[in-house]
Amino acid sequence: MIRFTFVKPDGAEVAVEAEAGTSVMQAALDNGVDGITAECNGSAACATCHAFFDPEIVDQLADMSEHEDDMLDFAAVERRPESRLSCQVPVCDVLAERKVTLPDAQ
Amino acid sequence: MASAVQTVSDVTIEEMMADPYPVFDRVRDIGSAVWLDCAAIHLVTRFDDIMTVERNHAVFASTNPKSLMNKVMGHSLMRKDDEAHRNERMAVEPSFRPGIVKTEWRPVFEEIADDLIDAFADRGEADLFDSFAAPMASRALSALLGFEGVAWQDLARWSQALMDGVGNYHADPEIDARAREASEGIDAAIEAVLGKHRAERNATILSSMAHAEHPHSIDQIRANIKVIVGGGLNEPRDSILTTVLGLLQNDDQRRQAEANPKLFAKAFEEAVRWVSPIGMYPRRVACDTTLGDTVLKEGDQLGICVGAANRDPSRFDGANDFDINRPKVQHLGFGAGPHFCAGTWVARQMVGEVAVPKLFRRLPGLVLKGDPPPVERGWVFRGPVSLPVRWTVGG
Ligand code: HEM
Ligand code: FES
Repeated sequence: MIRFTFVKPDGAEVAVEAEAGTSVMQAALDNGVDGITAECNGSAACATCHAFFDPEIVDQLADMSEHEDDMLDFAAVERRPESRLSCQVPVCDVLAERKVTLPDAQ
Repeated sequence: MASAVQTVSDVTIEEMMADPYPVFDRVRDIGSAVWLDCAAIHLVTRFDDIMTVERNHAVFASTNPKSLMNKVMGHSLMRKDDEAHRNERMAVEPSFRPGIVKTEWRPVFEEIADDLIDAFADRGEADLFDSFAAPMASRALSALLGFEGVAWQDLARWSQALMDGVGNYHADPEIDARAREASEGIDAAIEAVLGKHRAERNATILSSMAHAEHPHSIDQIRANIKVIVGGGLNEPRDSILTTVLGLLQNDDQRRQAEANPKLFAKAFEEAVRWVSPIGMYPRRVACDTTLGDTVLKEGDQLGICVGAANRDPSRFDGANDFDINRPKVQHLGFGAGPHFCAGTWVARQMVGEVAVPKLFRRLPGLVLKGDPPPVERGWVFRGPVSLPVRWTVGG
């Protein structure tokens, strides 16, 4: 199990533990963290699972596909360099003890 | 304690076609899955239960040995699960990406919409079903697919014939024959352009299939093009009409949208919630299980009623009202889960950004004609089948 923390839009922090390989989106849903809508349940088709990762480690996460890159431009809150669709990011060691910040709107 | 499935047996298909919402309300109150005699299927109508179904596709499968869809169209991605589904879905994705839709397809949609409106703008009245919504959806789909020289009426007829074939549980030979004719017409339309799309990479769906990491075989191309013809035409058509209807019936909201055209996109989204173009889609229970308060058995056929879930009062205040100002919450009009509508961003652009705002801009003083009144029909697929309007010409 890997421990990391979601920072919700209101600033509240929720520490979670998740199995390596489950998506960060799934970890949020499993732990009842609101701030992720995930309308397509992880099909990379809705852009409502947008999250900001720790800039120090964002480059070490699973690669971003062209499809995710296109979709991120249409997220409700403007993307930043540390933006990802959380359904496309599997939980992995580099996430341990890091923060994942959720945007104000999905 | 979960209990056995209950039955509703005093409803006719004609009642469902005319107005399914009272039945949806009744069924939602009875249980998580309720057998509807006239349709011979278990209806699932509660929002939360549908989310459970969509998050457990190992238990609630899309693959279905009894599916007529496979017989009529071939085995398409809509009736596959897991990796087989994912590979085909990823193959078509490039044509449907929101960025591609905006840069490549929006100009095409604009041209079609203007061309259609040019033809009737000076007449002062029209039925928007056949003068606008049907040809708009059909011509746009033809372009997206990469077809050339196919009349919009032919594509619309093929689409209907395929859908009728998929619903032909009584094996009516005439419906079968029309579905076969449609299938052959589509195969020929593919054949006519496939060489070109194989040779060049472009934004069309046929080109995406040919150039994917796992390129589609000819059988995959035929089946998936057919599923897109069957499922990519009536929904944008119906949602154009429903969005216009909702705005024309609610003058304050219409004025808000005219003052701030960004709101047409919200009006489209609300229309898809209010009268969901796909009201029901099927799933199969893969092993004995319980859903909410109801016990289900392996092999049970479920009708996932997103049209009902989108009016679930535990989720939406004033659920029966068209209200573009309601707080943004998730609706299920595009489904959820692995089969979430691939065409979502196409529909958003075509309907909410192009077709509907253009109608209001180019037809000043647009109002419902009143007599005859608009007519809505359907429950598996639902939308206006006639939308007579008038507007001011000249002046
Ligand atoms: C307002 C318009 C539309 C609505 C409401 C809509 C709704 C839906 C729904 C509810 C599903 C899920 C069905 C299921 O899970 O069994 C779906 C799937 C699909 N839709 Fe749409 N649709 C629309 C427009 C379009 C358009 C314009 C296209 C293509 C040009 C399209 C292509 C597809 C495809 C290919 C699938 C199957 C995806 C898969 O199985 O992975 N849709 N749509
Ligand atoms: S859940 Fe829809 S894109 Fe991630």
